[in-house]
Amino acid sequence: MLSKSSKITRPEYLKMLPELASPMTVRIKFVKKGKLQYISHLDLQRTFNRILMRSGLPVWYTKGFNPHAKLVFSTPLSVGTQSECEFLDLRFDREMPCEDIKRMLNAELTDEMYALDVYIPSTKFSEIAFCEYEYEIFADSVSEEFAGELEKLFTTSPLTLVKKSKSGEREIDVVPLIKSVSVGYNKESGSIRMNAVLCAETENFLNPEMLVTAIKTKYGILTAENPAEWYSITRKKSLKSDMTEFR
Amino acid sequence: MNKNISTILKSVSKPGRYSGGEYGQIIKDKKDIKARFAFCFPDTYEIGMSNLGVRILYGVLNEADDVWCERVYTPWIDMQEQMRKHNIPLTACESGDELTAFDMIGFTLQYEMSYTNVLNMLDLAGIPLRSEERDDSMPIIIGGGPCAYNPEPVADFFDLFNIGEGEEMLPELCRLYIRMKDEGRYTKAEYLHEAARSIEGIYVPSLYEVSYNEDGTVKEYKPKYDDIPKTVRKRIMKDMDKSYFPKKVVMPYIETVHDRVMLEVFRGCIRGCRFCQAGIIYRPVREKSPETLNEQAKCLFESTGYDEISLTSLSISDYTELEALTDMLLEWTDENMVSLSLPSLRVDSFTKELMEKIASVRSSSLTFAPEAGTQRLRDVINKNVREEDLLRAVNVAFEAGKNKVKLYFMQGLPTETNEDLEGIAKLASSVVDAYYKCPTRNKARQPQVTISVSCFIPKPFTPFQWVAQDSLETLVEKQEYLGSKVTDRKVVYTHHDAKVSRIEAVLARGDRRLSKALEIACREGFMFDAWDECFDYDKWISVIERSGLDAAFYANREFALDEVLPWDIIDCGVTKEFLIREYKNAHNEKTTPNCREKCSGCGANRLGGERSCCPKAAK
Repeated sequence: MLSKSSKITRPEYLKMLPELASPMTVRIKFVKKGKLQYISHLDLQRTFNRILMRSGLPVWYTKGFNPHAKLVFSTPLSVGTQSECEFLDLRFDREMPCEDIKRMLNAELTDEMYALDVYIPSTKFSEIAFCEYEYEIFADSVSEEFAGELEKLFTTSPLTLVKKSKSGEREIDVVPLIKSVSVGYNKESGSIRMNAVLCAETENFLNPEMLVTAIKTKYGILTAENPAEWYSITRKKSLKSDMTEFR
Repeated sequence: MNKNISTILKSVSKPGRYSGGEYGQIIKDKKDIKARFAFCFPDTYEIGMSNLGVRILYGVLNEADDVWCERVYTPWIDMQEQMRKHNIPLTACESGDELTAFDMIGFTLQYEMSYTNVLNMLDLAGIPLRSEERDDSMPIIIGGGPCAYNPEPVADFFDLFNIGEGEEMLPELCRLYIRMKDEGRYTKAEYLHEAARSIEGIYVPSLYEVSYNEDGTVKEYKPKYDDIPKTVRKRIMKDMDKSYFPKKVVMPYIETVHDRVMLEVFRGCIRGCRFCQAGIIYRPVREKSPETLNEQAKCLFESTGYDEISLTSLSISDYTELEALTDMLLEWTDENMVSLSLPSLRVDSFTKELMEKIASVRSSSLTFAPEAGTQRLRDVINKNVREEDLLRAVNVAFEAGKNKVKLYFMQGLPTETNEDLEGIAKLASSVVDAYYKCPTRNKARQPQVTISVSCFIPKPFTPFQWVAQDSLETLVEKQEYLGSKVTDRKVVYTHHDAKVSRIEAVLARGDRRLSKALEIACREGFMFDAWDECFDYDKWISVIERSGLDAAFYANREFALDEVLPWDIIDCGVTKEFLIREYKNAHNEKTTPNCREKCSGCGANRLGGERSCCPKAAK
């Protein structure tokens, strides 16, 4: 077992690990939820750099004037969306058991962002075709009928929404990008639970927040006007084009 | 975090400012806690999280098992709008509890223009602004930081002030509070009296009656009890090696202003520039040993994962062991890909060797602060830097391939003439010339010299504390005059807003009567006055006038040397006699050697201090 107290002499203890001829890629599957949903992608990258630095893991750094770790994240997650299936590919220059990596990483993380699994990947992020999201919607006006209306809303083409991207804004019909949707009403909590599988390929990526925008626009609920109404979105799974779970 | 605010968080800018949950935050079980302390920084999260003082005091307060210190920042305008609209009170980051649930609320007063944010935060928390309006059930409101050296403009709002360094004072205040609560004899009045009587450095403004002369100047401060000090002397940490320094810090997720390890190398400054308040109030100079610093740096690197260590102190190149320290650090920083940076450099100590060690100079731009355009005026302000020092320093930079230099100046300094202003433009041009004369310069690039000119503001506890600030019209004329003299196209001229500087001068030299103006300002929605987009000069003048006061009385009046100053109630260690000597030296264009060359008898050595250049004071 590696001792954490010897981190400052990291190069020393790392010498005990087998050196690799070429950097080894390791995939981290992690959770990002609760307060951490408000942290943007750019901030997450910076945060991970520090986590790696203090973890003492044998991260491979680029050689050159400004050495840095290579961090590759999967499908972008927008601010305000939680996730139980984020992926990060890292490169290590020394061999280390995946369990040790997970343990050392989680020592530097919190209960709102932590590693679920660490393994050597056999897939590429480009194989992710869909993401499954779970929505919870709390508002006074929701009901059994409302659940049915929502299901109809998201399955009846065209549902035209403004999509913002780097190249500007354009109107798109989002229904073809919704692979499946099911909406239920929970009588006890008085909330709507919606599951939606949305396109996640780079070209056709549908931001899950867009469905909430559609609800806001059509029904005038879930706005900051009434903070008693609220919603959450959680990315539950990433799927390949054959609908099997991406790993 | 309350689920109910999630809809609001999703609608405001940078919700990461309010969500909390950072790695390194300190969470305690409320049932073990006898004193809850809310440490408030009256500006945005990004600025507050960058403050070293807050990091130190947060750590030192949380050392005690029965005290829980949490952090609070000012919500940005969009968030405040939502909070007011939906009656959401201000809460602390760690527990999410309302501020009224706390026993003590401390505000760090870093700059005068944050005063309206202080009041605004109290108001957002549902806490009455004035000390006299708060009963025993309300938290004790504490002020500290550099602006507490003249606490009078905000005196009516605070229950007590910490004068000087808080590492011991704040825990002592908590202990007293807990003891009185345990003994069942706590009342706010008793507590304040006992704090003023028994804890050195505590100033309780309500225990001093102020009277005024007919001309509006202060007549006297009269203590209401015989057993409280007539003047409140500041506290210092005598031995910086033994003084608390955090082993870990709260790690922000969102990018903050200074997002790096901040290693405090020493306190105080040997220089004695006559406009500089920090150079006086943090005296005496007390250094940490390089061994201590190296250990602290290693420890913080390991606990944070920051890839940059900034050596922070006033005039860092005056550290006697700078070479030993940087050598020790470089032994492990390089292989861990950690870079070193220095916040400020003096031109007379800027060398090639230093530049090679320090990463901040890897960027193409370097910053120096000559402060004045002519040698005569630099002598007046005691900025003992010569033109040849500057040219030598920029030459080192140009030889190393740099092409951008930023120069800081002040205008409106005492005795300033047009010649001095023109001197700024000339100095900038000679830096441009130096670039072309440098044979090893980067010939692919053009030089760029930026001159950033701020307005002189007379500050308490400086030799210039008596000096009148130039009128607004004069300041603006001078800015335009200098603008007309900058003809070199390689020189970029920027200047501060003279209107902000004038209000800052009013608050800096203000007395207790200004509390009224600040209260009106808060009621009328003033906030973030340090931010250009929020500051409204005309509104400020209107508020000051409606309080029956005159901005010129505070900003543009030459104070008499024998006048009772509003901040005479505070003893910062440096004597008034020294400041008067320095004031006279300035007018005689006579410089004073730095503390290491020769002791000028400022009086700060009475406070003690280890690894200091001060001669030991006779006991």
